[in-house]
Amino acid sequence: MKSVPKLIRRFVGIMLLSSLLLIILNFALLGIYTLNQTPNSSPWITAQEVADHLSKNENKYVLTETTALELQNTNVWAILIDNATMKVVWQTDNLPETVPMAYTAPDIASLTRGYIDGYPTFTGEAENGLVVLGYPKDSFWKHMWPSWDYNFIANLPKTVLSVLAINISLIFIIYVIANSKLLKSVKPIVSGIQALSTNEEIHIREEGLLSELAVNINKTSDILQAQSRQLRKRETARANWIAGVSHDIRTPLSMVMGYAGQLESDVQLSENNRQKAAVIVRQSKRMRDLINDLNLASKLEYNMQPISPERQNLIAVVRQVVVDFINMNIDEKYTIEWETDEELTSCTANVDKDLIKRAVSNLIQNSMNHNEQGCNIFIRVVAEDNVCTIVVADDGVGATDEQIEKLNNTPHYMVCDEKTTEQRHGLGLLIVKQIIFVHSGKMLIKHSEYGGFEVDLSLPMSV
Amino acid sequence: MDFDYLKQKRILLVDDEQELLDMVVSILNEDGFQNIKTAKTVGEAITVSETYQPELAILDVMLPDGNGFDLMERLKNTADYPVLFLTARGEDDDKFRGFGLGADDYMVKPFLPKELLFRVNAILRRSYKAENPLVKLRDSEIDFERAEVIKNGEHISLTAKEHDILAALYRNAGRIVTIDALCEAAWGDNPFGYENSLMAHIRRIREKIEANPSQPVSLITMKGLGYKLIVEGK
Repeated sequence: MKSVPKLIRRFVGIMLLSSLLLIILNFALLGIYTLNQTPNSSPWITAQEVADHLSKNENKYVLTETTALELQNTNVWAILIDNATMKVVWQTDNLPETVPMAYTAPDIASLTRGYIDGYPTFTGEAENGLVVLGYPKDSFWKHMWPSWDYNFIANLPKTVLSVLAINISLIFIIYVIANSKLLKSVKPIVSGIQALSTNEEIHIREEGLLSELAVNINKTSDILQAQSRQLRKRETARANWIAGVSHDIRTPLSMVMGYAGQLESDVQLSENNRQKAAVIVRQSKRMRDLINDLNLASKLEYNMQPISPERQNLIAVVRQVVVDFINMNIDEKYTIEWETDEELTSCTANVDKDLIKRAVSNLIQNSMNHNEQGCNIFIRVVAEDNVCTIVVADDGVGATDEQIEKLNNTPHYMVCDEKTTEQRHGLGLLIVKQIIFVHSGKMLIKHSEYGGFEVDLSLPMSV
Repeated sequence: MDFDYLKQKRILLVDDEQELLDMVVSILNEDGFQNIKTAKTVGEAITVSETYQPELAILDVMLPDGNGFDLMERLKNTADYPVLFLTARGEDDDKFRGFGLGADDYMVKPFLPKELLFRVNAILRRSYKAENPLVKLRDSEIDFERAEVIKNGEHISLTAKEHDILAALYRNAGRIVTIDALCEAAWGDNPFGYENSLMAHIRRIREKIEANPSQPVSLITMKGLGYKLIVEGK
């Protein structure tokens, strides 16, 4: 369930990022809007310009033509109030009649802050007086009492930041509450889906925002469970069937083997007849091996073989198999050479000892089965890079490149659902592969350095 | 060493198949066993054992009126003697291997006569020691009871480890016993890293049992694999 905290982190990240972007965007928009709103940049500057461009020529005030034109175009009137007389000594032609021609000090203070007869006014300082521009009504709004507490202004950056922080926190809290509710309903859905992928049986509560999803997940789980129960039942039936058949064959085969074995060593029989008995014994053994293999292969295939891994010294395990073969008095045609480096006394791996013994026995038996004329079998255990490798090689007839390629890559008929005509027979190698597979190891078939066949079984070393 | 006394042991054979009983009896007879009684059911087996007092029981696992495990428990309640299971259930291998049941050995059918005889003889040898427990080697004799070797009339005592190693070799006389199995016999369940000690003990054993320890004839080294004890007359 790593995805839910990840989801929360992502949600919070997106939220913070979007708040930040929102603030930046707002400021940018405000800036652009403000700039666009005042094409006539500042009326205060215009007023000062008018004052500067007003000159006294023989007791008469004259405004430069361009400035006059500009005022006319924007429908702005202008007057000049003389310092000494406090009367209007110059005016533009478009001065409305309602504008007074004489002023007192309070009037000046008032018009500087505000309006004359509803016209927003702006002042500029001329040589002998005060230039007043009157803009059209409703073109500007003026703040009449522009004064703030000093502390307020001094603390403004701090205040703005705190307000922003409070805003963001508030949004964050709302977001978390809203999301946690959603996540709460998502969480069981997520764990449900995760459990589905591992084929666990699940039942999540069908309530909350996503109840419909929950219902569907429960249904899916039920279907999957029913299917795997069905499959399991069929596999169990098949494995049991194989086990049953092999069980039923064992007792009659005991008698075939037992009596044939007795006849084989009966000195009263002719050599010829004893040879015949020997063939029966040999073939019964093959049948016995096949039954054992079939049973184990089907159990391994359907995961019905109990596996009990323990820390084992693979060298000891393989050595025991070799010794068992030698002690069994195998045919003189075959020799088994133990080639493990004498310095290497231990190579431990976590394995089911009996299964590994079975795998190695199968490989030795395989070499014998494929070399009826006899061969030398070479066995060694190698420890390298935290891997124990059991090597079983022979100097027999070997196999072609094509056969080796096929053995390494073609599935066995028992585990293949495609065409069965061109497939491999005999279960020895399949079992070895299955055993190595359940131990997380690797099986590699190749040409041996002795000119025959070689199989390498690699198993992870345990520390 | 003479094992004829083992052939006199009373054997109880239980299996529900008459033909299999006949065959096993004939295999055992041929090897010299004389005293064999058979039974086809749990009930019959119990009745027979009461009067017959077997010294070895060979039991099938699946019987018409019960199973071999229960039968073994009931048999062992009256007298303690070795039990060998003969089963057609190959998949029971693992259960048997645990051997919590107290069985002495088990065999999965089908089996060759010599496999059966090897196991029966091995169990009997383990369970019933000879009255004269001297084991004859080429150049000496081993007395396991007294833990000593008799060479040229001289009595040389064996240490506990030497005794354990020799006993393990003797139980499998004529067959290779792996280094690991010998270490386990001498040092117990976790026999890692005792290979060198084992070699030293083997050297000392050879000094005691061999006429020429540097060219051993009784305790043979199988390079890399283990050792083999050659017993005279076996």
